[in-house]
Amino acid sequence: MSLPAKAASGRGDRELLLGVAAGDRQALEELYLNYHRRLARFLSRFAPRYENIEEIINDTFLAVWQGAKDFRFASQVSTWIMGIAYRTALKSLRSQKHHNAALSLDASAEQTISPDVDTDVADWLGQGLKTLPDEQRLTLELAYQMGYSLEEIAAITHAPIGTVKARLFHARAKLRRVLPTLTGAPAADALEDFRGR
Amino acid sequence: MHEPNDSTEQHQDLTMLLPWYVNGTLPEHDRPRLERHLSGCAPCRDDLAFERELHRRLSDERPVEYLPAPSLKRLQRALDALEPGAAAADIQERRGRAPLRRYAVAAGVLMSALVGWLMVERWHTSLEPAYHTVTQSPARPAEEVVRAVFSPEVTLVELQSILAESGLKIISGPSEAGVYSLAATSTRPVAASLTALRRHPQVRFAEATRLDPTISAQGSSQPN
Repeated sequence: MSLPAKAASGRGDRELLLGVAAGDRQALEELYLNYHRRLARFLSRFAPRYENIEEIINDTFLAVWQGAKDFRFASQVSTWIMGIAYRTALKSLRSQKHHNAALSLDASAEQTISPDVDTDVADWLGQGLKTLPDEQRLTLELAYQMGYSLEEIAAITHAPIGTVKARLFHARAKLRRVLPTLTGAPAADALEDFRGR
Repeated sequence: MHEPNDSTEQHQDLTMLLPWYVNGTLPEHDRPRLERHLSGCAPCRDDLAFERELHRRLSDERPVEYLPAPSLKRLQRALDALEPGAAAADIQERRGRAPLRRYAVAAGVLMSALVGWLMVERWHTSLEPAYHTVTQSPARPAEEVVRAVFSPEVTLVELQSILAESGLKIISGPSEAGVYSLAATSTRPVAASLTALRRHPQVRFAEATRLDPTISAQGSSQPN
């Protein structure tokens, strides 16, 4: 996983974070602009609206502002920031579910898949991801969408390596199980369709 | 099925590595055994095809708008609300007047330059030999005067302060053993810098490699 390019000022992440720790708002802004796109991409599948994405990113950087003094020298700035974004996204997902549950008795139905829905493969993936527990879903995104290594994901999610492997293993297994349900095709045909498109 | 030499447990262990094989971050030492397993395991090859497609779809760039400027403004307002005093200073800054705070911040940024961007983007992973002969001395940076190991708990800010107090800066590291090469930032005697460094509990180890920072190294290697 490559580190983000240096900010326009030429200052690297660690130098910027030192500035943030010293109360430099400009350093925080540079770091924000440096990471905004990456975080927005990571969050785009979880947040129902763009405003939610921005809220999570801003909450992340508020935490960066308040926590920069405690950043451990041995850590990577990128995994530290992604770790904050990951925990903020988890909180947001959980509060969305509570909110939906409070609004409607049928809220739990949002997480199930109707076999009658005429769903193409692209929708399949989105629907399938929604059936996963939050940690599995986020871990899958970190590995496949963002391209992080096993060790980086362990650092981001504050989970042992074995737990990261297990989360991804179960997520993948579940996606393979829901595929026939979502497309309505027999399992073997559905997999061939998925691979072939 | 899978290779006769791979137990069910090994099969499962290897299956778990597929996502990182697919995203290209699997460590080199794991690749040969996984590829050997794949060559003899049809279900895993089937899995691999599925994983590759999953990876392709998830890593496709989604049509998300990236509009950082308006949300950055909202963040700035939130920070202003956290620190009313800083808000006033920040408003002054935006109006083009430099508050006293900027000088303190600029000093902090200059200090951070001492810590050096070198230690992140040019990470050295050379092995530190347990012992070595004159003909096999490891190359050391010419400016190095001290080698040190820090606690993994030390924060970036603490380390900056320790180095500033000791009159040293990081020029390379960490090695695989976690050793950093430090250079002097002044003509202060290395012995004094070493004493200052060793006072801190976050400094696990520190030794001088040269006593007088004004004496330049004879080439890039130093004999023992």
